[in-house]
Amino acid sequence: MPLLETAAVSVRFGGNVALSGVSIAVEPNTVTGLIGPNGAGKTTLFNVITGLQRPAAGHVLLSGADVTHMSPYKRAQRGLARTFQRLELFISLSVRDNIRVAGDMRNASRRGPRIDVGREADRVIELTGLADVAGRDVAEIPTGRARVVELARALMTDPKVLLLDEPASGQTEQETETFGELLRRLAGDGLAICLVEHDVSLVMQVCSTIYVLDYGAVLASGTPAEIREDPAVITAYLGTTEGVA
Amino acid sequence: MHTFVEFTIFGLILGGVYGIAASGLVLTYNTSGIFNFAHGAEAMLGAFLYWQVRFGWHWPAPLALLFVLGVFGPLMGGVLYLLIMRGLRDTAEVTKIVVSVALMLGMLYLSVWIWNPSTPRTDEKFFGSRSGVHLFGTIVTTHEMIALAAAVVIAVGLRMLFYRTRAGVAMRGAVDDPNLLQLNGHNPERLAAFSWALGAFLAVLAGVLITPISGGAVEANALTLLVIDAFAAAMFGRLRSVPRTFVGAVVLGLANNYVAAYFPKTWSWASNFRISLPMITLFLVLIVLPQDRLRGASIQRSRERSRVPSVRTAAIAGVALVTVVILLRQLMVDSDITALTIGLTFAVIALSLTLLTGYAGEMNLAAVSFGAIGTLIVFHLGVHGHGLAARTTIGGILLGVLVTAVVGAIVALPALRLRGLYLALATMAFAVFMTAMVLHDGQPHKLPLLHSSFSFFPLGTMIIPAPKVGPIDLQDGTTFLMTATVVFALIGTGLIALRNSSFGRRLTAMKDSPAASATLGQNLIKLKLSVFMLSAAIAGLGGILMSAAFTSVTPDHFSVFVSLALLMLVVVSGITYVTGALLGGLLAGVGFSLIVATFNALSLEHASLHGLFAMLAHLAAVAPALIGIGLGRSPSGSVHDIVESYRHMRDAKGVLLGGAITEAAVYLLTLGGIVTNWWFAILTVVVILLLPVVGQMVKPEAFLGEAEVARRRAEVPLALVGIDTPYTRQMRDEIDRALGMEITPELAASILESTDAPA
Repeated sequence: MPLLETAAVSVRFGGNVALSGVSIAVEPNTVTGLIGPNGAGKTTLFNVITGLQRPAAGHVLLSGADVTHMSPYKRAQRGLARTFQRLELFISLSVRDNIRVAGDMRNASRRGPRIDVGREADRVIELTGLADVAGRDVAEIPTGRARVVELARALMTDPKVLLLDEPASGQTEQETETFGELLRRLAGDGLAICLVEHDVSLVMQVCSTIYVLDYGAVLASGTPAEIREDPAVITAYLGTTEGVA
Repeated sequence: MHTFVEFTIFGLILGGVYGIAASGLVLTYNTSGIFNFAHGAEAMLGAFLYWQVRFGWHWPAPLALLFVLGVFGPLMGGVLYLLIMRGLRDTAEVTKIVVSVALMLGMLYLSVWIWNPSTPRTDEKFFGSRSGVHLFGTIVTTHEMIALAAAVVIAVGLRMLFYRTRAGVAMRGAVDDPNLLQLNGHNPERLAAFSWALGAFLAVLAGVLITPISGGAVEANALTLLVIDAFAAAMFGRLRSVPRTFVGAVVLGLANNYVAAYFPKTWSWASNFRISLPMITLFLVLIVLPQDRLRGASIQRSRERSRVPSVRTAAIAGVALVTVVILLRQLMVDSDITALTIGLTFAVIALSLTLLTGYAGEMNLAAVSFGAIGTLIVFHLGVHGHGLAARTTIGGILLGVLVTAVVGAIVALPALRLRGLYLALATMAFAVFMTAMVLHDGQPHKLPLLHSSFSFFPLGTMIIPAPKVGPIDLQDGTTFLMTATVVFALIGTGLIALRNSSFGRRLTAMKDSPAASATLGQNLIKLKLSVFMLSAAIAGLGGILMSAAFTSVTPDHFSVFVSLALLMLVVVSGITYVTGALLGGLLAGVGFSLIVATFNALSLEHASLHGLFAMLAHLAAVAPALIGIGLGRSPSGSVHDIVESYRHMRDAKGVLLGGAITEAAVYLLTLGGIVTNWWFAILTVVVILLLPVVGQMVKPEAFLGEAEVARRRAEVPLALVGIDTPYTRQMRDEIDRALGMEITPELAASILESTDAPA
């Protein structure tokens, strides 16, 4: 059973249709890709899933339970975590405290046993390779690293489903490679990951299922190989197949 | 039936004027993103100026109107935008609110300066109060018909402006995305300046129209508050829609008149209720407003900065504060002791703002009103004994603090789902409500069932006796002073411990990005509620101590303007610092009133220099507002600047020692009576401010780092490098970086060999 499902989600901003009848499913142990041109509705879909945007129609299911009308923090307490395309770091806090505070919130929600926030933060910092910048102000570090801080912060909540919104933008090639490794490891540990990304080669490498969004609707879905060959996708988004690694 | 029609007509007229004022507010908010708390003060200034030219200088009415509405209003709005508001982009909401609050206070002080409040002034109706038509046995004056017509014209005109003209459509977009607007060929700056000019025109028009309708007295505080009532109308349109704002305004105007018409005359609270009706409405509208979308971090690199000291540093600072106060005590006479005690109790109230605004990013415009709640509880339930033996009990204080926390929760609850501005408005509504409904409730009411009578604030004064806890009796001035100091030091240290705790980190996270906090599982409403209650409790304790320090208090001690001035001074001093609360509290409690009083005393003593000293006194009264307005330039507050400059002084120990010795010498001179206390204060301020400057001159390495100093010493104009001085390795690297050339170590070595060799 998928950990996260959207069923025919639609969103309208005034007269503009941002999403129309989008249904996706994100399975545990896998990375699911969500690609499409700018303005296709990827971030809007993430906002609907996390509860920051109320859909005009449709449902969001988390572990099979309907959470469409649940507030964002309750969904998070049920194991949903995300990163943001426009960084949403806590700019007054250090990198380490950005990560620690997510553990503080987990403890405050009294969900599950109390964790030792300091030790858990150290573990996550080690896992995500942030040890060298842990003491710095988040405002000082480069965007590529800042995106990893958002991932680390999300991991502190011990999520079951992880939504990543363009985590590789701003990263160097080297950083992206390490990041891909990390995603595969996290998925291997049982996480259900949904990845929005413009770096198509990263998506093709780490995802087992890919959804292509265009003008607020699912244009195609399937394995990387199927997507690469899909004529509609090639016309709308990928251009020629040569461009795809 | 006649009553009904009559009061409906007057309700419509009042509503129309509210609508004019409120639409100006909506206009400026939508084009610049700044909620203009000074809107009421603009109206007040307009009414004063109209009185001056029309009745003071006897200009004909058309000329006076042309001058006030056509020249003064738009000019004031445009200049305010260009000089002050424009600089507020990329600042936190707190800064925006405080700057416009400072502007409001500044205008109030200014009006007191120009128009001495002890002289009564009256604005008369256009064409006098007899000209008009008879309707249902009452006269509707020409003035009132003009007011109603103006409201209709403006409602229709604004609607047309927004939907029919290019500039109006652009205005609606200005706040959403100024960059996009610029790409479409509009100049958002010019649009905002235009809307501020138009907004100020509407404020002034409302001020000129409403003054004669509401009795004619031109009185600064009352007029400012009268137009603040329009905030409630603007809330009906969620600060966005002009038509709905006018609907809200009419509802308010009608409700106001129906209460006057139909509430039984025996209800002694009815007239207070009528005055606070707009604020009650504001509150109710907040409850039914739909939830806002969760906001992300609006600014990625805000200009506000702060440093968090460790608990150990805080504890040491606390002990230092107590020591300093003990030393100061030796210099003071009894009246000084009371003044400093009052200042410190204000500082305790200010700590509630450090917690709420500094740490959690939420606003409270009614800090002192929460102090009033605590005081009321103590007055009614917490006093033991009679006459001179009366003392405030510890149980009473605890009860007062507890009740204040609960009231805090009730005030904050409706606004917690909404953006920070709405909480600020809810608290302001509470402050006005408290003053009008509770603190001015001096007449005894017959309570039903209980057969006893009760009033909140009997006869307009409350005597709060000194607290007594076990052997500690605060009747003694020195004991009270030291207790207040210790209470401040303890709460201050506690707050810093809290800021360094899990709770404090969560507060900071919520302030920086509510959206991220929610998606990490933080229940924002619960967190906001808990911090608001804690903050209200601190304000309650501070308020009780303040009232006891004053011994007897009147409603004026708790007016909304006191809360606003306190908030402004704390933000200016540094809202994220406990030291900022100390400085802001002392300034609000005693500082400025003391300075003003000194200058006034001097002007009485030196008759020949009367003019000069009186002017200095006025300047000192306006000064805090000017500092507040300047906040746009240095939004982190002055404590932050001083802390930053002292941070570097650790490496300049000699300078610190020199400063300490100087200060000790000044102290001993004062103790020996060789110099007066005033000189002591002035010299101390000079030493504190000059020390970093001296440090930077004597030991620049400590401030800039060794490398930077060496570089500056060796600095050669760039154009002369390679001509007068040889290329350095550093310079070569810099050029390579600038050109984007990657130099391998081998290549670098070969270049160095070829160029270094001849030198």
